[in-house]
Amino acid sequence: MGIRFVLLVNKQGQTRLAQYYEHLSLDERRALEGEIVRKCLARTDQQCSFVEHRNYKVVYRRYASLFFLVGVDNDENELAILEFIHLLVETMDRHFGNVVSSNTPMIQYCEDTLT
Amino acid sequence: MALSGMRGLSVFISDIRNCHNKEQERLRVDKELGNIRTRFKNEKGLSHYEKKKYVWKMLYIHMLGYDVDFGHMETVSLISAPKYPEKQVGYIVTSCLLNENNDFLRMVINTVRNDIIGRNETYQCLALTMVGNIGGKEFSESLAPDVQKLLISSSCRPVVRKKAALCLLRLYRKNPDVVNIDGWSDRMAQLLDERDLGVLTSVMSLFVSLVSNNAEAYWNCLPKCVRILERMARNQDIPQEYTYYGIPSPWLQVKAMRALQYFPTIEDPSARRALFEVLQRILMGTDVVKNVNKNNASHAVLFEALALVMHLDAEKEMMSQCVALLGKFIAVREPNIRYLGLENMSRMLLVTDVQDIIKRHQAQIITSLKDPDISIRRRALDLLYGMCDVTNAKEIVEELLQYLNTAEFAMREELALKAAILAEKFAPNLSWYVDVILQLIDKAGDFVSDDIWYRVVQFVTNNEDLQAYAAAKAREYLDKPALHETMVKVSAYLLGEYGHLLAQRPSCSPKELFTIINDRLPTVSSSTVAIIISAYAKILMHTQPPDAGLQQQILAIFKKHESYIDVEIQQRAVEYFELSRKGPALADVLAEMPKFPERESALLKKAEDAEVDTAEQSAIKLRSQQQSSSAIVVAAQPPVNGPAPAANHLTLVKMPSQNIAEESNVIHEETAVEAPKENGAPVEVQRNVEIITEPAPVSKVEPPASRPASQADLLADLLGPLAIEGPPAAVEQTPAQGLEANQSPVGDLALATLEDQSNSVQPIVNVEEKFNILCTKDSGVLYEDPNIQIGLKAEWRAHHGRLILFLGNKNTSPLLSLRALILPPSHFKVELSSVPDTIPPRAQVQIPVEVTNLRASRDVAVLDFSYKHGAALVNAKLRLPIVLHKFLQPITLSPEDFFAHWKTWNVQSLKVQEVVRGVKPLPIPEMASLLLSLHLAVTPGLDTNPNNMVACATFFSETTNAALCLVRVETDPQDRSQLRLTVASGDQNLTFELKEYIKEHLIDIPRARVAPPAAPQQAQLPPAAPATYNDPGAMLAGLL
Repeated sequence: MGIRFVLLVNKQGQTRLAQYYEHLSLDERRALEGEIVRKCLARTDQQCSFVEHRNYKVVYRRYASLFFLVGVDNDENELAILEFIHLLVETMDRHFGNVVSSNTPMIQYCEDTLT
Repeated sequence: MALSGMRGLSVFISDIRNCHNKEQERLRVDKELGNIRTRFKNEKGLSHYEKKKYVWKMLYIHMLGYDVDFGHMETVSLISAPKYPEKQVGYIVTSCLLNENNDFLRMVINTVRNDIIGRNETYQCLALTMVGNIGGKEFSESLAPDVQKLLISSSCRPVVRKKAALCLLRLYRKNPDVVNIDGWSDRMAQLLDERDLGVLTSVMSLFVSLVSNNAEAYWNCLPKCVRILERMARNQDIPQEYTYYGIPSPWLQVKAMRALQYFPTIEDPSARRALFEVLQRILMGTDVVKNVNKNNASHAVLFEALALVMHLDAEKEMMSQCVALLGKFIAVREPNIRYLGLENMSRMLLVTDVQDIIKRHQAQIITSLKDPDISIRRRALDLLYGMCDVTNAKEIVEELLQYLNTAEFAMREELALKAAILAEKFAPNLSWYVDVILQLIDKAGDFVSDDIWYRVVQFVTNNEDLQAYAAAKAREYLDKPALHETMVKVSAYLLGEYGHLLAQRPSCSPKELFTIINDRLPTVSSSTVAIIISAYAKILMHTQPPDAGLQQQILAIFKKHESYIDVEIQQRAVEYFELSRKGPALADVLAEMPKFPERESALLKKAEDAEVDTAEQSAIKLRSQQQSSSAIVVAAQPPVNGPAPAANHLTLVKMPSQNIAEESNVIHEETAVEAPKENGAPVEVQRNVEIITEPAPVSKVEPPASRPASQADLLADLLGPLAIEGPPAAVEQTPAQGLEANQSPVGDLALATLEDQSNSVQPIVNVEEKFNILCTKDSGVLYEDPNIQIGLKAEWRAHHGRLILFLGNKNTSPLLSLRALILPPSHFKVELSSVPDTIPPRAQVQIPVEVTNLRASRDVAVLDFSYKHGAALVNAKLRLPIVLHKFLQPITLSPEDFFAHWKTWNVQSLKVQEVVRGVKPLPIPEMASLLLSLHLAVTPGLDTNPNNMVACATFFSETTNAALCLVRVETDPQDRSQLRLTVASGDQNLTFELKEYIKEHLIDIPRARVAPPAAPQQAQLPPAAPATYNDPGAMLAGLL
């Protein structure tokens, strides 16, 4: 149980922010992000917010042009993670005014609420 | 915030933002990196403030996705800075740029510790956050006590304690020993009384991790969890900032319920009652609301409650209430809820008694199989697979076949395998099974693995009623214009074997069969050509009375293929051609394939293998372990009692007599020998018979049957999914024979007797012998008893070795309290991965072991291994085949090189000579292969005397790196029981150990001596051995 990584990706598929909670090399991260982004961004609103990838389950949510993707273990409570994303966004909104620029310490702080 | 006042950084960021393309950006970044690098390098006396500026830039560059592989030292050093802005940057950037293995982190452990135990709350938070993110093993060891103190301290503010809990969680994950169980269960119980919900949430995360590893130690915390849930459910004392859309901290609720799922049951009646009250309230009180977030949050809680109800195996009423809810969910429009409904229904299948209720939703689930969303389709497929049984197999399998037409490629292989397994497990009748598999091959040939079609051939071969039907079906498929190659293989095989049964039907004369198969011949690959050629031989044999025209055509094809590029086909063509001229004897030689011995389906094995992952312990697996067994395994067992219809479980037809089943290793040889005997045919035919009765595909499916139990078979059994079944009846049998006993009456009997002998579980293989085999091979069985089989696979690279232990539970009940410990001798460094506590029924876990060789030694590592089966504790100490020669690599030297080294090592302790007496009398070539088996490359020609041998190898260890070793063996043609052994290397210890090691292998040690050739020598042996290596010079004189 636990969150493995949090990714913020824009509509073009570029990673804007990444936080990993397990050690992956830069190349591994790049490959993983590429695969996940390709899978998730192609999905429509009518499809569910969960994508199974390798041994992760990716829970994602879209806010305007920004995608929040959270990689979790296969047995995590998916909806709780989905709402964690929203909580994160609300917190960041309150802190920065608008989710355009943010910094990592903030994310880490929010992360602490759930791990 | 901290960026204000740093103009350089702002300028850099706006420069980057103004870049028009990636190339420009890269140039700008490179320039900046170069700048930072020179600053760090040249100006020794950088102030903390200056360092801070550059480190911020490094972080920004890192966030842009560039590798920042320098400046780590400067970053880390900022942590020691006295002022907050610098310290903050140090902590933050360190946790972003560095990972736990970075050596620089070690330097700051002390500073971090000072910050943690210091009075400054802000510093405490920074330090705890960083350690919580990247703390590794060393941090665990040095910081855990201080972090624990903060967590339980009453003077700290919640914000610090929150972080301390999460930090401790990280440290615990890195090194579970940091939490001393005895002391912690009480403290944990106190911590769970916490009123502050923020601290409580963090503590709960820690608690979940603790109980997932050891629930028994925390029994006292169970009522506290229930109380927290009650508090949430009643919305008592919940501050506004911890309600999320009106729901009291949904995450805390989820976590508390998750923690409870790690406890096997809840016995305390009052806690149980209270919990069920809460669960009932959640189940009944969750409504669909308009607000998406509120809806998600409440359903997150609801789904966790469902999981907990399932886990607790609640009263039937509550269970059916859950199934009803799930049934509602899988029909809603909201895709997330539908997905989770399907997922949780699959989990529910593990619980008994609800299958029937789930079956009512079958139609709805099948609809989901056509959903536009692949995630949902996957769940639906899983669920259908899990809920399939005899009653609905026909419908479900046909649905899967239909879906195969439209399924995306990513899913087809899984789909094909699942359909094949279900068809096999639950076929209402055999002809239906054949229909399904043939359709499967036809529709998704590319995704049908060979195992699937081998299996259908086995069934048809073993069931006489089926043969004509299958042949007719195959004939039908051959009429189709386009056909998958696998289908050509099956059809050719079936028509070759059983085509003659169709002789009375229209357009099924041998000639017509031949023509229709022959049409495919030019388009297929060589493996199919081989099968087709065999089919022709069979058709030819079955054509009675002989048809001269047909014979001519077939012989022409044989003739043509005699020079085919593939050797296998060449051989078949030549042999069939010769055989076809033998006249009536042909009929005996090419008789029908004998029935296959009963064996476990390769498909089922494949599926089980896919189910059992590595030793990962996740909640779902734990939960399914606590249930008696997972769905597929239950279904795989033969119905022992109960009026199950005979057809509900396809089994291969029993062997003609039990006798043959037990001796199935030699079954082919038996048929082969019998055929010529009856006819008085020449013995040379026998060789051909063996080849003909084993067409290539079959011999692939049936390794143990096609060859006597060779090492390769043991290997196949090991590396394939572990042979999981009842213990073999006879202890002396090899494991390969044991395989065959599966599902036969013998297997069941053996299972029954197991209970009686459980007190004294003895290995059923010769452990000593297995060890010796593994010394020369890198994979095989290490140990086996009625409950467990331990296999081993090793890889060696220079002085590193990687072993994987495969622990397979052969029983239908879990093996508990698994412990494995390696007692390494001082010359190894051994790292054993964590060992799971339990092996689920019929499952296999893999435990990787990393070995580093420090120096040469003959000591052997011992695996101390124990488990509990029922009440009996079984303990075994097994030697691990990590022996000296595994770190040797054969090498061939030129004579110049050899003699150059040989001469330089002419020093007493570097080159050691000894006369060895009482060696196994071996001819020279055998002696050479013995040396080769020790990874010593014998170089012929270096020593001119044909009775001598010279061998070389490289020895790898951490101290010597690659060290050359030279060995010379001089034998005495007059007396083969003695020889002179000389070993030389650049390392004194290595020379000695290697010499002793080789000697151990040369000497005829008592266990290997079956029939001692000469008694006097034996008597001489014991005193000779110790004396010899003390004084090699004296012994040399003795020999000459």
